[in-house]
Amino acid sequence: MSRPSNSLLLGRGVRLAGVAAFVVGVAILPRFLSDFRASEFARVGIFFIALIGLNILTGYTGQISLGHGAFMALGGYTSALLIAGRPGLELAQLDPPDWIPVGNGMKDIWTIPIAAFVAGLFGFLVGLPALRLRGLYLALATFALAVSLPIVLREPEELTGGTNGLNLFGTTDDRLTGALDNAVHIPVLDRDITFNDWTYYLVWTTALIGLAIAWFVLRGRSGRAFKAIRDSEVAAASSGVSLASYKTLAFGISAAYAGAAGALFAIVSTIVSPGSFPVFLSIQLLIGVVIAGLGSLGGLVFGALFLYYLPVGIQELSEVGRLPDGLQDAAKSPGMPSVIYGVVLILVLFVLPRGAAGFLRRLLSPLTNRL
Amino acid sequence: MRRTGVLIGVIGVFAAALALALPAAHGRETADPGITRTSILIGGTTPLSGVASAYASVARGAEAYFKYVNARGGVNGREITYKYLDDQYNASITVQQTRQLVQQDQVFAIFNSLGTEHNLAIRDYLNSIRVPQIFAATGARTFGADFRKYPWTIGYQPSYTGETAIYGRWIQKNKKNARIAILYQNDDYGKELINGLRKGLGPMSSRIVMTQGYEVTATDIQSQIARLKTSRANTFMIFATPRYSIQSFIYANRLGWKPRIFVNSVASASNLMEIASDAGHNKRVNGTMSIQFLKDPTDSTRWAGDAGMKLYRQVMKKYLPRGNANDVFHVYSMASAFSFVEALRKAGKNPTRSGVMAALAKLDSKKNPFLIPGVTVKTGRADRFPIEQVQLTRWTVNRKGDGRWVRFGPLQRVPS
Amino acid sequence: MRLCDGRTSGTSVAELLQQVVIGLSSGAIYALLALALVLIHRATGVVNFAQGEMAMFSAYVAWQLVQWGSPYWVAFGGTLVLSFAGGLLLQRVVMRPVENAPVLTIVIVTLGLLLVFNGLATWLWSGEVRTFPPNRPFPTRTFDIGGVVINVQDLGIIAVTLFLVAGLWAFFRFTKAGLALRAAALYPESSRLVGIRVGWMLGVGWGLAAALGAVSGMFTAAAFPPLEPTMMQAVLIYAFAAAVFGGIDSPLGAVVGGLTLGVLLNLVGTYADDLQDLGFPVDLEGLRLPVAFVFILVLLVARPQGLFGRASARRV
Repeated sequence: MSRPSNSLLLGRGVRLAGVAAFVVGVAILPRFLSDFRASEFARVGIFFIALIGLNILTGYTGQISLGHGAFMALGGYTSALLIAGRPGLELAQLDPPDWIPVGNGMKDIWTIPIAAFVAGLFGFLVGLPALRLRGLYLALATFALAVSLPIVLREPEELTGGTNGLNLFGTTDDRLTGALDNAVHIPVLDRDITFNDWTYYLVWTTALIGLAIAWFVLRGRSGRAFKAIRDSEVAAASSGVSLASYKTLAFGISAAYAGAAGALFAIVSTIVSPGSFPVFLSIQLLIGVVIAGLGSLGGLVFGALFLYYLPVGIQELSEVGRLPDGLQDAAKSPGMPSVIYGVVLILVLFVLPRGAAGFLRRLLSPLTNRL
Repeated sequence: MRRTGVLIGVIGVFAAALALALPAAHGRETADPGITRTSILIGGTTPLSGVASAYASVARGAEAYFKYVNARGGVNGREITYKYLDDQYNASITVQQTRQLVQQDQVFAIFNSLGTEHNLAIRDYLNSIRVPQIFAATGARTFGADFRKYPWTIGYQPSYTGETAIYGRWIQKNKKNARIAILYQNDDYGKELINGLRKGLGPMSSRIVMTQGYEVTATDIQSQIARLKTSRANTFMIFATPRYSIQSFIYANRLGWKPRIFVNSVASASNLMEIASDAGHNKRVNGTMSIQFLKDPTDSTRWAGDAGMKLYRQVMKKYLPRGNANDVFHVYSMASAFSFVEALRKAGKNPTRSGVMAALAKLDSKKNPFLIPGVTVKTGRADRFPIEQVQLTRWTVNRKGDGRWVRFGPLQRVPS
Repeated sequence: MRLCDGRTSGTSVAELLQQVVIGLSSGAIYALLALALVLIHRATGVVNFAQGEMAMFSAYVAWQLVQWGSPYWVAFGGTLVLSFAGGLLLQRVVMRPVENAPVLTIVIVTLGLLLVFNGLATWLWSGEVRTFPPNRPFPTRTFDIGGVVINVQDLGIIAVTLFLVAGLWAFFRFTKAGLALRAAALYPESSRLVGIRVGWMLGVGWGLAAALGAVSGMFTAAAFPPLEPTMMQAVLIYAFAAAVFGGIDSPLGAVVGGLTLGVLLNLVGTYADDLQDLGFPVDLEGLRLPVAFVFILVLLVARPQGLFGRASARRV
């Protein structure tokens, strides 16, 4: 293998520096934030994890999904059921059938990989019939999932708590009370931190692990197969890439990420209900990957920040005192927040049609291209 | 090999940064936050956008009333600031925003948050950190019934089960040949309404001959109405939200089904009834029954000289000019705000959170200008349902074809 | 939820027919919006997720015109014209800048439009429920045939829908304009070479779809009262399913899909009780939508191009 040229090394160096800075930033950010902001960033992280997964499916493999909110719901409910266990469910006056292995209550951290596995398995199963569908037809199938799953989850009331869902409060150790003075003890470092900081680190550690796994997978043969399928299925198949295996794999992996995100969602919110996973969530995730830039991991943080902070920002706009009076009233009126969200979304796409990652690529191309 | 090296390096950097930078936990403040000598900050969540945005008025009316009170010196010299956030009717967003209000904005209390599952989602949290959850905008029975377990929580409106129990009791007394069909929203709200009806019917609950549920994803309920018609019921209960309630009247008429109709109070606003009457063409609405505890803002004849409704219009005009004065949710929210102000005054010159909760547990007021005359807002040691009186009301159409709600009979006690 | 059921036997034939009739009338509404989706896809290659909200907005425009004193049919016609112009403008201003962007970006832009129209309608007219004058667009008289009640308005809507299908089909098949539209969508470069103004064709496509959507919106307000900002949201779900299920480029498919979906949903609800009587463990009543979707998806997997879509063979 010939020695890579200087400018390529520079490109790799730039990227490594970026990753290192990112990792350090994630680790020390809570120091500089108020307690509550840390919990906001935890929510950003949850979006981030789901976006990694969806990006693998839609960005790298070119399969559209309008239904990833459903996988989050699966992960969330799995996690909630396992954390509550039979004793917790009894507390909520629920009586699930005996054959369902709910267990007796599990520590929240261990439910994350289990939720990811369950969601991933389901995603793989969904991927099987989806093999026959492409483009709009696949979009419809996944959309049907997004619409139907909350309804289906609501039906077996004795297991899932019906419309009101499952409340994790008090069913496990006090950590989940989220109370201000309930410190969470980290045995490994023998320190106490607040609940909000604990959720931040739980989410972002999972996110970084997920990011690393994604990076590995996408660097390797699977990644190349995914991209080949996206670029041309015919060419990929003729080169010996098994469309069936890789498409279902992509579905499974992306669903697993969404499941992990859902589990974290349950832990951070301490509740799951059908209403927590509306159709709009699936649409938001799709918006997120497009804003992030399909087919690259670089813009995902931007996508997650956009998803979380745009509605928040719009609400803060209508707070007292930030705008001149006339605009103030208008911003607060019913309907305006939706209009602003839509307009901002469209404008962002005008400016960044290939998302943040596309923009970044163009920006950094002098540094990473050969001269 | 290089890839693994990179990974190990990155993990090392992360761990090091973590160990150095982990912030420590800090203890809780001792004084009640959200209250100063000149102001008091309360917060809540309401769906301002999305499918349930019609309920946004529940927050805006209260806000307008507080502005009115503030313009008159506030409560014991304190101005009330009511900060409400849009939870898009999504319970997990409710949780997030309630935490924001408590932890970031440091509100004194949570007030007037809307939705059953939404209030349920935050009840444990608020009670565990002893933050009041005042006048939860939902009729689910548990908010008044489970106060021993949740002493920091209190509802406001009559419970859903109580309302339909009254219908049941009336049918027991007045319509012994009733065959009852029910259209209900397929969630806990709808099911609570049915439970209440069965309780009220007592031995007559076997007279419920058919129920049909609908999902909020339904475009229309023609199919359900057609099925209910086949039951040959002569009494029709509409336990639905406004859109489907209007459709119920219209489809029943189109299908030629002529039962006596009861409609739940959430969907009984006069403008809805007018739309359902299809400019007089739909006679099914005539004689429809419901209950009322708020003054109907569209009934200008009845409340022409009424001081309470004058106040209402005054407040709407000055502090919520773009709001629809005919929207009864504005009346509800002002009633709720009025009672809150009363409780706050009662809590003394230096209210504390526990002081306000104590005042809320001892309410006894007939002065609420937005409730129909005679209704007492009252709570006690074993009673945390502030409003327990309603009046039956009937949609009456005069010779010209104009309809209005006409209350009849005595004030009824809602069974809890 | 089942309590004592006063009926002594299962669903009768008359009841079944009534449910079918109702299903056809609801299905026609889904079909109308599905037609707009098909039209815009054929003319521009894009599925416009904002079609439902645009239709709702058009319905409000019509309502406003009526409020200002114009007779219903004048308002109807005026709304068609305004919607056409609006659709054209929208394509030129909002869709043109992202013409060459990846497909998903274009999809998200239409989602942005969905939010804008939804918010705009709520802002301009508030969430208060409204209604059109009675007996519009068609008289709501009913007549009873053997126990089955049929509504003249529903018949009118079905008739208009079928007429529009035929019209669309004829338009694309037999007229030069229709040919130009299809060419502009499928082969923009070649079309330019033969003198077709592709940009304006796309705009016309959006305009026509918006006008069709306006019809759908106004009829929805009459068939599924009341008029309110959220009224088309569920309809869009069904219309999207119907359009894709029928084959996204086939007007006939959209209508067959819509009618089938309407009937299917009602049948599930109708037989849910009877099935439970026979021992079926799940109460299907609340699961109409998921069951209907399962049915559609099974069919789609068996026939991935939709009912009337053209199969594109790929041999590797």
